[in-house]
Amino acid sequence: MIYLDNAATSFPKPPEVLKAVAEALAAPASPGRSGHAPALAASRIIHKARKNLARLLGAPDNSRLVFTPNVTWSLNIVLNGFGLKPGDHVISGSLEHNSTARPLSRFQREGQVNWEVVPPGPDGLLKPEDFKARLNPKTRLVVLNHASNVTGSLAPAKAIKEAIGDIPLLLDAAQTAGSMPMDDYCQWADFIAFTGHKGLLGPTGTGGLWIREGLDLRPLSVGGSGSRSESLVHPDFLPDALEPGTANTHGLAGLAAGVGFLLDVGLDKVRDHEMELTQWFLERIIDIPGLKIIGPGPGVKERVACVSVVLDGWSSSDLAAALESGYGIMVRSGLHCAPLTHQFMNTMPGGASRFSIGYFNTLDDVKTAAWALSELAAKKPSRA
Amino acid sequence: MDQDGEIILVFSSNTRILNAEDLLEEKNLPFTLVPVPKEVNPNCGLALCFMESSQDRIMPVLKAAELMPSAAYRRLGPEFSTWAFE
Repeated sequence: MIYLDNAATSFPKPPEVLKAVAEALAAPASPGRSGHAPALAASRIIHKARKNLARLLGAPDNSRLVFTPNVTWSLNIVLNGFGLKPGDHVISGSLEHNSTARPLSRFQREGQVNWEVVPPGPDGLLKPEDFKARLNPKTRLVVLNHASNVTGSLAPAKAIKEAIGDIPLLLDAAQTAGSMPMDDYCQWADFIAFTGHKGLLGPTGTGGLWIREGLDLRPLSVGGSGSRSESLVHPDFLPDALEPGTANTHGLAGLAAGVGFLLDVGLDKVRDHEMELTQWFLERIIDIPGLKIIGPGPGVKERVACVSVVLDGWSSSDLAAALESGYGIMVRSGLHCAPLTHQFMNTMPGGASRFSIGYFNTLDDVKTAAWALSELAAKKPSRA
Repeated sequence: MDQDGEIILVFSSNTRILNAEDLLEEKNLPFTLVPVPKEVNPNCGLALCFMESSQDRIMPVLKAAELMPSAAYRRLGPEFSTWAFE
């Protein structure tokens, strides 16, 4: 199998991740709920994950890094807990995933906020000045998908934050955390939402959110926290305020190991490897007759390692099925939960076929994928 | 470690006490983590415990790292009293 669906979930996981998950699952006790040795061991697992993530993001205070089940949950904690009021103005990029587009669309439909989308420039990339131009006195929040899970475009997040000044920036780092150096991001971002199962090499069911000091969020849910147990009022301090209920200890054990692996390898090395393969792939497929790359082509550095294509005569699903059945290549077809992006890229409703490269992919993997696309471009789908 | 002259620090969150543990271990200072004594505090988790004679080495380290406890107690045999700290 050649796995090129790392933008959905990374595969394989490092052996350290599998080991950490198994060991944590075999151990007794809940973190933070008792004082005995197994409970302390469970607490230390969560703490290790928190410390590793804080190091990865350059967070000065690891207590402001909270764990969630996934990035959608993290983003919803901010969007629903930030205290947006009717009449408030929220700006987002145009390459948003449904994890932010659906909550914002719901707010808009229910009259809660005025949501404005910044379109990409002619080159498909977002421009900081286009965000600044849309600010008004009612703007409360800017939401930005750091990198598109369709086009692979990387948004100029720091420049956008500089352009919007004091307006808080919610960064959706689903496609970037673990795939590029981000150890200065807590110096300028306001909220960073991430998931554990993609670039961070952890298990599904893990994610998190970093929150700048001074920004408060009303929890989506409240309950047991292991702290202030005498009170019916949920704690207001982090991380407890946003981590109700027993944590996913074995999942976070795996996440701690995944992030530890990345820190040992070095994020520069991860980024260089993924970009080398991506650029190689783009250069080989750009001249395939009938093939269109959806997003930045070869040579553009402001991107991540996912490449979506449309091939004449093929639906995105037929192409993905042919890649799997004929070549053992796993890609994702369709709209990738990002209809806004496909609208802007004129690939609605059929979507595209997405090749997403991870740290464990090799040059042979992308060579085979490029060769397979060349062969399929010369054919028609068997059921066409 | 049920001895006289123990100081027991309770922190607002598990994360804070584990950060305190990291810090004190790094500096090789003497302490243990114990269940929060239910005689004085209803929290579910852990407390940081050290001998009173170590307070001058431990408390400044915690203060410098802004890791001060939410409550502190002195234990003398079975008796607990509130411990004032700065």
